[in-house]
Amino acid sequence: MRKLLYIMLIVLATTNSYAQGCSDAGICSIGNNFSASGKVLKNNVEFSVIFGKGEGDVSYFSNYISYTRKINDKISWSSKVTFSSASGSFGKRSAFGDAFLIGKYTFAAKDNKQWSILLGSKIPFTTSNLKINGFSLPLDYQSSLGTFDLLLATNFKYKKWDFNSAIQIPVFNNNKNSYFEEFSGTDDFLSTNLFERKSDALFRATYSINTKNQKFTFKPNVLFIYHLSEDSFENIYGKRENIIGSEGLTINGNLISTPVGCN
Amino acid sequence: MKKLLLLPILFLLCSCEEQGELTKDRFNVTPATQDASLKYHGIFVPTSGISVTGEARIYLENNQYKVQLEGFSISEGPDLKVYLSKAATPSDFVSLGNLTSATVYTIPQGINILDYSYVLIHCQEYNHLFAVSKLIQN
Repeated sequence: MRKLLYIMLIVLATTNSYAQGCSDAGICSIGNNFSASGKVLKNNVEFSVIFGKGEGDVSYFSNYISYTRKINDKISWSSKVTFSSASGSFGKRSAFGDAFLIGKYTFAAKDNKQWSILLGSKIPFTTSNLKINGFSLPLDYQSSLGTFDLLLATNFKYKKWDFNSAIQIPVFNNNKNSYFEEFSGTDDFLSTNLFERKSDALFRATYSINTKNQKFTFKPNVLFIYHLSEDSFENIYGKRENIIGSEGLTINGNLISTPVGCN
Repeated sequence: MKKLLLLPILFLLCSCEEQGELTKDRFNVTPATQDASLKYHGIFVPTSGISVTGEARIYLENNQYKVQLEGFSISEGPDLKVYLSKAATPSDFVSLGNLTSATVYTIPQGINILDYSYVLIHCQEYNHLFAVSKLIQN
């Protein structure tokens, strides 16, 4: 690697990544790989550690490693692999989650304004049916939702502002989760047996602030996620049920800091 | 660069499962006692390529129906469930949960036991039926 940027992203006050509206690392982080450091390099490797709190007493580390390559001034692509570890009353479960492949086309900048478009896919490594000791686990403990997704996004950059809009569409559902609230011994989690996820739409506004010594970039941002319709699951009678309240808007606030080093 | 190559290995090392209070020795449905009344029973018959032994018995105890598997063993499967079913195929059923080392499964209250004539062992993940027990009234 001629130029390799190694970044550890520490996300503070991060989103509740498994909450309503934010299905996983997909739509919530789309576009980050292309612009996290603020520097434009031909090859870029990132390793991210995100700590979050889920439903009930679940806490998790959601990590990813990604590689981004800039082909030329207009075209770049990024691949990413996620890994997560969740802990709580059910125990601890860690596994690889999803692989992402995203391509980006950037239009020429004009008057400090620049548009780009992204097209990508998400491929799950699991069927969202990880178990502990033979017990089925709720989605908070699953490293992936088990869906093959299409990701479409646009980005508009104006001076220090970044605006993203995106949509994540599950095109093939391979979710085989078998968690039933009835058999679990807790009512902290809803049943998600054979869960079916619906699409998400996202809008994010980010403002970049560089420290005076140029060693850190802070990116406060606000994220609006609209879950376009209600998710569903199959109940103990084999009948499909909608999850009431799973449709709707979620608003998240994030602060991303990026200490940057080169080797 | 070498440090970066270590990262995926670190991920793999972290790949694990540890049981918690809700996944530890909680197969706590007690087997039928001498006071229980045996209502139905049926020997398991395997589907193609599967081997199974034993039978399903339905007991009534303290106003609670239970399915108990007796002398039961079956071929390994990735996501086996126990169903109380109206037919010999998993089309109209009540799921009683994962097939585990437990041998007793509670039938939910409100279920009319007369409507259900079969106990099925079914792999949900691959939608493959493993074994069928046709219940006979005792």
